[in-house]
Amino acid sequence: MAEVQEKSGNDGKKGGQKKMHIRVDFTPMVDMNMLLITFFMLCTTMIKSQTLTIALPSNEKVENTENMSQASADDAVTIIVDAKRKPGTNLVDTVNGAVVNEVYYYFGKPGGDAGMFGAGGEIISANNNLQKSEFLSDEVNSVGDHSPRGIRQIIQERNKEVLAEIKKIKEQYANGGFGPLETKAEREAAQEKYDEAASAIRKNENLKKPVIILKSTPQATFGSLVELLDEMQINSISKYQIDNMTRVDSVMLLDYQSAHPGS
Amino acid sequence: MGRVKIAKKSTFIDMTAMSDVTVLLLTFFMLTSTFLQKEPTTVLTPPSVSTEKVQETNFVQVLVSPEGKIWLTMNNDTSAVWSNENMRMAVLDKVAEIYNETHKNNPVSFTNEQKHTFAKLGAFGVPLNQMGEFLDLAYQPEGQTKMDKWLEGEDGDPKHITGIPIQWNTNADQPTEFQMWIKAMRQTENDNLAQAIKDGTGIAIKADQNTSFDIVHMVMDNLQSIKQNKFTFLTALKAGE
Repeated sequence: MAEVQEKSGNDGKKGGQKKMHIRVDFTPMVDMNMLLITFFMLCTTMIKSQTLTIALPSNEKVENTENMSQASADDAVTIIVDAKRKPGTNLVDTVNGAVVNEVYYYFGKPGGDAGMFGAGGEIISANNNLQKSEFLSDEVNSVGDHSPRGIRQIIQERNKEVLAEIKKIKEQYANGGFGPLETKAEREAAQEKYDEAASAIRKNENLKKPVIILKSTPQATFGSLVELLDEMQINSISKYQIDNMTRVDSVMLLDYQSAHPGS
Repeated sequence: MGRVKIAKKSTFIDMTAMSDVTVLLLTFFMLTSTFLQKEPTTVLTPPSVSTEKVQETNFVQVLVSPEGKIWLTMNNDTSAVWSNENMRMAVLDKVAEIYNETHKNNPVSFTNEQKHTFAKLGAFGVPLNQMGEFLDLAYQPEGQTKMDKWLEGEDGDPKHITGIPIQWNTNADQPTEFQMWIKAMRQTENDNLAQAIKDGTGIAIKADQNTSFDIVHMVMDNLQSIKQNKFTFLTALKAGE
């Protein structure tokens, strides 16, 4: 291909022009291109990062507490992430240099209705309603059914009314209830309607749904907080907030850990 | 001695087709590429199920190292009025103004050359009282390397501090330098960026998944204290859930 043959008219007879072979060697060109490709391949990012939007409450002291919406003790679930400690100490334990995250939760008020502290301010361990759980993904059986485990199972149990409604519209979507799903444009339109319906369900005041308070000890990793926020999204939780650890939370956590050493 | 004669064959391989392919590949990579920004520290963002894509323009990235150091990167849309360089120069002016309100005894100011250097920076983050010295490095031989080394904290000079100073602070009258920078970015007359920051889509915290919550919490708390209650975390896509 990279050759040009020039034919002269008099077939190489005496006095005629010689046949000319022009050949361009493309090997250096390929070498250079390969180098350039390597450069671009190594220096580019193909994958764009994702973002997770969060909104926090204002840091200001609220003077007027009358208008504050209070979560009822029935609905409140507090989830605390902590780093695994070395048994018997308060030091962070690591496995292969990485911090191991642990997740704890309690329903309602800390220490239940009786509270964690006695009349003289002493800690009543019997009232500690903190429980330990784990971050686990769904268990999938041979038929392909998902069953939640760990902290997800606990959240889903509290949010089952909303999830049942979401499941209904999911089926409706799959059966074409939000419009046909043939073309891409149709799918997008149906998806939009589905999202609207799902958001309406999440905000529906008539359904019983939990208010989840997320807390993290200073030693837990940022990754575990993101994991918790993910659980909120997976389980269609509409009301959740990130809050600071309080004294009673720390007391309960230490009390639990000293009662269950090595767990 | 009898000799086996081997017919001489041309070993010339035609590379034209190969060249065609490589040029096509090269074109593809050139057109789709966005360059990796050089960052003072490498972080691995936590995996998440969120599928929201990061904004390309009008956003400020707060890079948090596992040790609690902070650098900022700004991307604004390059509209006719506000080029990236104009924007950065305006922010530097503004932040100096805010800084001088609380540091009346040793105020900072920047020359035009320093401002132009700042306008071309990628990630930045040195204390404001060292910013002038840092920007002057650009006019020295191998200035870029020296600046990168400073930002990575490896230039061997203990006086050179990398990272924007930050600490737990709820006193709005005595903002930390990190809070000053965010305030300055909100106060420039570039409405697009200011609006994006106010909406929360314009500010992203990029932290390693193994950074302790304490450090991220401090950054979050600093933002909350200047009424920046909405923002985003940069995450990586988690497969299969």
